[in-house]
Amino acid sequence: MRLHAADAAELVVEAAESGNTAVVGTVVGGPLAAVIGRRIALIGEEGDAATMGSLGDGALDDWAREVMRGMIADPRAGDGLRVYETPEGGVELYAEIRRPVLELVVVGAGHVAQPLAHIGSLLGFRVTVLDDRPGFATMERFPDADRVVSVDFEDPFVDVPLHARSHILLVTRGHKYDYACLVRALRADPAPAYIGMIGSRRRVRATYVQLLEDGIERAQLDRIYAPVGLDVGAETPEEIAVAVAAELVLVRRGGTGASLKGLERVAERFFPNEDEV
Amino acid sequence: MTHDDDRSLTDALLAARAAGRLCALATVVGTKGSTPRKTGARMLVDPNRGLVGTVGGGCGEAEVIEAAMDVMGTGVPRRVLVDLTDDLVSWSPAVCGGIMDVFVEAVHAEGATR
Repeated sequence: MRLHAADAAELVVEAAESGNTAVVGTVVGGPLAAVIGRRIALIGEEGDAATMGSLGDGALDDWAREVMRGMIADPRAGDGLRVYETPEGGVELYAEIRRPVLELVVVGAGHVAQPLAHIGSLLGFRVTVLDDRPGFATMERFPDADRVVSVDFEDPFVDVPLHARSHILLVTRGHKYDYACLVRALRADPAPAYIGMIGSRRRVRATYVQLLEDGIERAQLDRIYAPVGLDVGAETPEEIAVAVAAELVLVRRGGTGASLKGLERVAERFFPNEDEV
Repeated sequence: MTHDDDRSLTDALLAARAAGRLCALATVVGTKGSTPRKTGARMLVDPNRGLVGTVGGGCGEAEVIEAAMDVMGTGVPRRVLVDLTDDLVSWSPAVCGGIMDVFVEAVHAEGATR
């Protein structure tokens, strides 16, 4: 069965929105002209992914399914070409993977939350904003958010299911609210990908003292990103949002957080300053 | 591509199919060096709507659009190697110093790609 480009694209988008992983393989080169442009898709998780479409060749389909299953199992697998060797030459399969959409849960709807929701949305997160003040938790204040919810900070995630793709940012107006939500976030199972909490060193330290007093294990503290964000000297809410967003990218993609100028030293390495030699 | 990019391209593909329009889909399947878009970037060339998405703009994209027109005529998919390595000192926005490997295919309304 041929899988149309539009159907393949729709499968991928719908899978990501419903919390599933999807991989689509398209033959883009090689000696078998008849199969170029044909697609196969796998939807679901490692063990029980369903196949859609066919590349029009049984052996090629089996190989593609194996390659694509391997991609689902490897968290670092990226889009790219995979080659199936035949006596006539290599058949090139372009395989692309889409993981479930990442969630950003901003707890607190104040000044920092607004630019955070905006940048989070630009970065491709599905953004949810929570506050206990209905006047602040409005779509008008957060036009980029997918959801804005009025909650009780004693149980903020009751209507907002947390999962391994959740990124939680605690930016409420008060320490005690952040604390209540932090405890809930730490206890969430499965563990969220990121838990960040705004605050000065002093405030973070006080929070940790209280967590330990309340019986939270020391190891749990290492899971918390606090004070939140990369050190870029941020002062305004917008700058703080940029620093936090940079940390979200860092957690997702890896990296050093250092300035590339300093890492690459292009001027120094390739254009040594004669005066200093 | 972000999820929103995926979504708008999907909507454009579905709309073109529903209207029975022949389009061409360009996909960056590999890159080498520094390129304006990375692997996975897509652009739909829809004769009625123009371009949806981008493979980087500039001269490189013009080459891809030309291939798209060709592929819509012949129905035979093509690979286009967009070389952005010449002329490193030019002011053209297309100068990035890399190569993009782009797969260009006709997308027919009835489902066959050729």
